[in-house]
Amino acid sequence: MEERCSINIWINEERNEKLANAGLAHLTKDALAGMKILRLHCTKKQKNEILKLYPMAKYDSATTKSIELLPPEVKNKILNLIIKNKNLNVLDEFLK
Amino acid sequence: MKYTGHSGKEIVERVLPPKEVERKIKGLKRIPVTDRVARECIDLAYGFFTPLQAFMGKGDVDSVCKKMTLMNGTLWPIPIIFDIDDEEIKEKGIKEKDTILLTYHDHALAILEIEEIFNYNKLDLEQAVLGTTDLKHPGVKMYNALKDAFIGGKITLVNIPKFNSPFDKFWYTPLQLREKFANKGWERIVAHQTRNVPHTGHEWLMKGAWFSTNGDLPVEKMKTGILVSCIIGPKRIGDYIDEAILLGQQKLHDAKYFRDDIHMVSFILWDMRYAGPKEAILHAIIRTNLGCTHHMFGRDHAGVGSYYDPYDAHRIFDKIPKESLKIKPIRILEWWYCPICGEVTYSGLCGHLKERQPFSGSMIRSMIQDKVKPTKLIIRPEVFENLMENADKYGFGSPFCTEEYLNRRQPVFELS
Repeated sequence: MEERCSINIWINEERNEKLANAGLAHLTKDALAGMKILRLHCTKKQKNEILKLYPMAKYDSATTKSIELLPPEVKNKILNLIIKNKNLNVLDEFLK
Repeated sequence: MKYTGHSGKEIVERVLPPKEVERKIKGLKRIPVTDRVARECIDLAYGFFTPLQAFMGKGDVDSVCKKMTLMNGTLWPIPIIFDIDDEEIKEKGIKEKDTILLTYHDHALAILEIEEIFNYNKLDLEQAVLGTTDLKHPGVKMYNALKDAFIGGKITLVNIPKFNSPFDKFWYTPLQLREKFANKGWERIVAHQTRNVPHTGHEWLMKGAWFSTNGDLPVEKMKTGILVSCIIGPKRIGDYIDEAILLGQQKLHDAKYFRDDIHMVSFILWDMRYAGPKEAILHAIIRTNLGCTHHMFGRDHAGVGSYYDPYDAHRIFDKIPKESLKIKPIRILEWWYCPICGEVTYSGLCGHLKERQPFSGSMIRSMIQDKVKPTKLIIRPEVFENLMENADKYGFGSPFCTEEYLNRRQPVFELS
């Protein structure tokens, strides 16, 4: 079974407003002590590509099984794709 | 007053009185040293590595690698070594029995009385200490970058480092810390090692460790203290900046999340090898020398990636003879946030496994990087505010190490 991997986009007021305006606030999940995220699942191939593109990011294999420390502008780009497509399956388009 | 450290040996400071320095260093061959070696010279000279007073010779290196003891049987897990180019040995005519002057940024730092010059296979070092020779392991990178030859010999400091602000407020030698503990009336001291700005998970790790350490002691007057012992050493992009770590830890104290009489912040100079369980033993030895009676170990202590099982650093303490280490390990599971319990709680107590929300250092860094302010359940607001202030004051706008920070930061210490 492939090890799961995700990318978490933390939701602040600005991001929450964008999502709410697009009717997508329901996509967020409660992640830690009331703080919300958008959680995108990625395949091993996507994970490796992303870590190669952004070497400052790291895969937290110990705790959350997620890619962390992606630059904020990358997260914003992904968020904009989510709003445009109205769903979370945007990583292939992001990686093109 | 005399104090003893690891293996019952006296803590000895090898620091030359200033009036003797000029005479002692006159005419000595000068050898510039790396940041790591400079830090370890200071550590050796002040007794952080008691009973070591010298960079190791081949016999001790071999014994440490094969048996995790010095040649005399003292428990010791990681070689403390001085590396030098074969070229430099030839060029400067360095020989056994020589005394050489180690310099750091062109200033005299210490004298090294050479007992032995030797070679050692780096792959053997890596496999013995780290359990791997994988080039992706940061400890392997460190060992691979060592020069060809090694020198064993005693170190004496000839120039006392001057620590820049804010480091000066948190620097204590082992003898100074012993005096501090005595003044505080602490009978038991639990070391909390960290390279992080504290979130509430860390805070609760410390609080849980305090309870374990205090044990059956009376509580009307506190006799147990937490020593936050930050590791200050090489930095990588994405690490918290050093100043934010120290001042963030202190902020928990100043904002009274810890009482004055049970908590203090300090640091040691150490280049992490990320050797997992073996490094946990070395950290225990160093904190023994600082005067701590207990050392807390959480999940994945001194680990990196998935080279070690998350609790290997707990298990190693069951594999060494009990009498070989005075300090008691306090083994702690993780703390997590539980939405059912409605609080940060201990994984050894909370049974809500499906609903639990674990703390992850990387996750919290991502949050901060995304400019999303963590709630007070995750990071205390005073600590967060302090972090942002220090980002501006010391971090060129970032709480994390950037290229700019690495190139332009103020040094931790300077020599005159």
